[in-house]
Amino acid sequence: MGSAREKRSYDLPLNKSPGAGFLILLVALMTFLAMLALASSFALSAMTSRWSSGLENNVTAEIPAAAADGRILSADEIKTLTARANSALTGNASVVSTHVMTGQEIAELVKPWLGGGLPLDKVPLPGLIAVKLHDTTPKTVKTLESLLKTVAPQARIDTHEEWLTDLLRFTGALQFAAVLLTLVIGLTTVTAVAGAVRSRMAVHHAEVELLHLMGAHDSYISRQFQRHSLILAFKGAICGVLAGALSLMAIGWISGEMGVNLLPDFRLGGGQIAALAVLPALVAIIATVTARQTVLKVLEQMP
Amino acid sequence: MIRFEHVGLRYGIGPEVLSDIDFALEPGSFHFLTGPSGAGKTSLLSLMYLGRRPTRGLLTMFGQNINGVSRAQLAPLRQRIGMVFQDYRLLGHMSAFDNVALPLRIQGRPEKEIKSNVHELLEWVGLGDHMHVLPNTMSGGQQQRVSIARAVITRPRLLLADEPTGNLDDEIGFRLMNLFDQLNRMGTTILIATHDQGMIERFGHPKLVLEAGRVRVEEPKHWLARKMQGVF
Repeated sequence: MGSAREKRSYDLPLNKSPGAGFLILLVALMTFLAMLALASSFALSAMTSRWSSGLENNVTAEIPAAAADGRILSADEIKTLTARANSALTGNASVVSTHVMTGQEIAELVKPWLGGGLPLDKVPLPGLIAVKLHDTTPKTVKTLESLLKTVAPQARIDTHEEWLTDLLRFTGALQFAAVLLTLVIGLTTVTAVAGAVRSRMAVHHAEVELLHLMGAHDSYISRQFQRHSLILAFKGAICGVLAGALSLMAIGWISGEMGVNLLPDFRLGGGQIAALAVLPALVAIIATVTARQTVLKVLEQMP
Repeated sequence: MIRFEHVGLRYGIGPEVLSDIDFALEPGSFHFLTGPSGAGKTSLLSLMYLGRRPTRGLLTMFGQNINGVSRAQLAPLRQRIGMVFQDYRLLGHMSAFDNVALPLRIQGRPEKEIKSNVHELLEWVGLGDHMHVLPNTMSGGQQQRVSIARAVITRPRLLLADEPTGNLDDEIGFRLMNLFDQLNRMGTTILIATHDQGMIERFGHPKLVLEAGRVRVEEPKHWLARKMQGVF
């Protein structure tokens, strides 16, 4: 115990202070949560982009099973009207292509709500035509709708706009919440680091005062705390990122296995992975700056 | 070097512990600071090593009005002061070498220079084979020598010492007082707070006597005579 030939690293015994493990754990947890929040935001962004692009310039022409006078049409009547509507649409210059959805395809669409195995041939299902347009301006949609009504007065064009708008608003709110959560996590990390630094300064008050009286500038003293906080925060952040990465891989695998296209895809792109990989450095910088500001503020109380 | 003009010091809202302190230390002077316990020696020293600012009056050090100096400007002034504390105030996690080297590192001196100077000084104070030992395994006297070495390693312009020879045997104490004398001859202004009347009489430097928060200067006759002869 008497010999101390170890390499000098600190004037203040910060690496011997209690609580270092606690701070590492706290930062690891905060980084883990931030990573999940950011990944969720990225996934939501990708999902809305996919939906928007998927529905771009795509509309659905619908020939309802109920006629304008309220009479329920037979399957043959619906089939005939759908074929005539399709002919009218394909003759229009705004239409790129059409696809008349088969009974099987329509059955698949309603399956999540009505279940499988139902005698759908006895259910009055509408006729649906997936239409791809050159553009989806209101004028184009109105023209096509007028054209359809010459075939069947009850026919209509569904641009999915209302549904998509609601969904985009919802996902936008979720993204905002994810960003807000990330900011709160950042603030919590700042608070934790500041608290830890203040605590260490209190524990080592006598040593800090001695350095101060020997003529150490405030920056000389703060550099010691900055370095210590940087190392602890970096260690914690690395652990948090690794835990987050494993979790995201697991979630991505699970969501991939489920194969449900409506859900967010947690498999991230290269740029997004790079952004998350920068987290430890970002956390370390935040911790360093926080430590510096905290130390300088405390030192201001000294003469 | 140092000038106190009607300086007072109060802690919080309590009574003044120092009142109307008026004296000056010329550059290169050597004084002892004496007085009964509780007279305010430690408080006076704390003003001089810039651990506090006066609550009233004018304190001038190194040509600067301390009350008017910013915090950032105090650091370079403190680097010109060497302080030997009564309780040593060594950093327990650092070896004797690193404790003595600390003021040089704070000043940003090169490691090669630090190593050379610290080795030499620790050898001189008789701790050459204790360089890498931690203070908590040293005797009080050894710790005091480390503390003194730390205070003088930068060849300060002002050296303040609070009972520096208290735990030392006569031989080491005499050697250290000779070190102080040597530094003084090289231009360092020295003030030593002590109760050791024997040392005061032996070395015969002027005294600052602190009583009831006030200071009076006592200059021994032989010292006065030497001064008049132009020895100083």
